[in-house]
Amino acid sequence: MAIPIIEAHNLTVLYGRKPAIWNIDFKLPEGQVIGIMGPNGSGKSTLLKSIMGVVTPTTGYTKVYDQELNQVRHKVSYVPQRQEIDWDFPASVWDIVSMGRFHVRGLFKRLTSEDNDIIQESLEKVNMLGFAKRQISQLSGGQQQRVFLARAIAQQGELFLMDEPFAGVDIATEEMIVDLLKEMKGQGKTLVIVHHDLHTAQSYFDHLVLMNTRLVACGKTSDVFTDQILTDTYGGKLTTISKISQELENKEFPIRHQ
Amino acid sequence: MNDFYIILTACLVAINCAIMGSFLVMRKMVMIGDAISHAVLPGIFFAYIISGSTSSLPILIGAASSGILATIIIEWFTQKARLQSDASIGVSYTLLFAIGIILISKFGANADIDQQCVLYGELEYVSLWLEPIIGDFYLPRQTLILGVVCIIIVLAVTWGYKGLFITTFDPNFSISTGIAIGFWHYFLMSGVSLTTVVSFESVGAILVIAFLSGPPAIAYLLTGNFKKMLVLACAFGILCSIVGYYLAKLLDVSVAGAISAVIGAIFTIVFVITSSQKSKIDVISD
Ligand SMILES: Nc1ncnc2c1ncn2[C@@H]1O[C@H](COP(=O)(O)OP(=O)(O)OP(=O)(O)O)[C@@H](O)[C@H]1O
Ligand SMILES: [Mg+2]
Repeated sequence: MAIPIIEAHNLTVLYGRKPAIWNIDFKLPEGQVIGIMGPNGSGKSTLLKSIMGVVTPTTGYTKVYDQELNQVRHKVSYVPQRQEIDWDFPASVWDIVSMGRFHVRGLFKRLTSEDNDIIQESLEKVNMLGFAKRQISQLSGGQQQRVFLARAIAQQGELFLMDEPFAGVDIATEEMIVDLLKEMKGQGKTLVIVHHDLHTAQSYFDHLVLMNTRLVACGKTSDVFTDQILTDTYGGKLTTISKISQELENKEFPIRHQ
Repeated sequence: MNDFYIILTACLVAINCAIMGSFLVMRKMVMIGDAISHAVLPGIFFAYIISGSTSSLPILIGAASSGILATIIIEWFTQKARLQSDASIGVSYTLLFAIGIILISKFGANADIDQQCVLYGELEYVSLWLEPIIGDFYLPRQTLILGVVCIIIVLAVTWGYKGLFITTFDPNFSISTGIAIGFWHYFLMSGVSLTTVVSFESVGAILVIAFLSGPPAIAYLLTGNFKKMLVLACAFGILCSIVGYYLAKLLDVSVAGAISAVIGAIFTIVFVITSSQKSKIDVISD
């Protein structure tokens, strides 16, 4: 691997005495779509938060572009899990997306017309321009998700950390987001995505991090998306896992031969 | 003239509290105003001991610093002890209030601190201390202080609007873009502390809480735009002050009590009207 875009060393985060993530080490490659998967409460959000400096690790550290996050923050966009925000906040879609430009101009300067163009383009990309003036409490779950994506796009970063961008969106929106992500990958951006759906994991991700408080596996999807590793991650015999591994054997997914 | 002084004083408190309260309501920490207004007691005591006087300025500084100390302790309990924020507020201010009570009852027998006045204020007597402004124009000292604080608050919020807005709406995203949310937290808390301290002396702790939570809550029901919410909250604060004052005169009851009651009544009316509407946007359109 060339210089890893994100690396974690001995990363442990405790909430009180309870570990949310335990002694995690990994390196992630640049320019790929990377999935982070694991059961509920397995520390996926905490992992993203500690990379972004939102939670301070109890031990260990992470680096982004081989540097301290502070040196490269302007290149990194973070999309929090949708449920973490109060969507009844009195703000419009435009207000939220414009937050993606605040740190570029600094908090004390007005946004320029260039910023407004960028905000507009970002809304267009996620098909939400028509909703710019809409109050955020009047959006559906999928629309909220797209507003969050637009805010991240408006930051014009190189690396995107997204916490469950597909949660609660319908198939049409999911396809739209997937197309958008492909386009971004085509521009050389790196996308790190927390995801739950095992069925789509293979087609969406080049690289996978599987975790359950501890790291279970990290590697190319074709190498780590196996029956054994999935069982280790999700514990026990999930019917979904056995179904998927059967499909793996029967159908021979093309991705295995890449 | 006395009517004018009382109404003006109440309106200035209303404006200060409406602006600070709008941020507190959205951060779900409005009871911090209550905490500060009680936690100031030890600060007032030490200011009195050190300066040997009960004049406004040292007392004000003592009270405000003890208010900020309270917000630091609350933040510490929430962050480090991982206590829920309402629990940290409860623990911290009762502690500081108790320390204040003990200090004053033990060593401050002749300190000019009246616990009745802490809770209910003395809005009716605001014109006892008049300061000359220009020529024959006088303003009560309390009103003057509130006016200066009002200017400070308006300027500070205008200057720091974006920072306060983004850290209130989405603190985690703010951190991810490198914004120092701690700075904005204490920036807001200093404003709340200042507002609470200068307000509760004239209107009492209970009306301060009513002003901090009521008008912002009413405004929140009526608009989906935070800037409009700030303006509407100020407008409703002023309206409640004026209506409350004349109601108190009519019924010959406490002004602070009447204003609190009017705030509650207007909130209920607005709540009933808006909950029968489809959405906020129907009520106040662009
Ligand atoms: N602020 C917090 N305080 C205390 N415990 C927390 C906090 N945030 C998360 N936890 C705990 O840490 C563990 C990991 O949480 P995290 O949110 O990272 O999981 P997740 O993998 O993102 O789960 P989900 O799939 O449900 O989003 C969980 O057991 C959770 O209860
Ligand atoms: Mg999560």
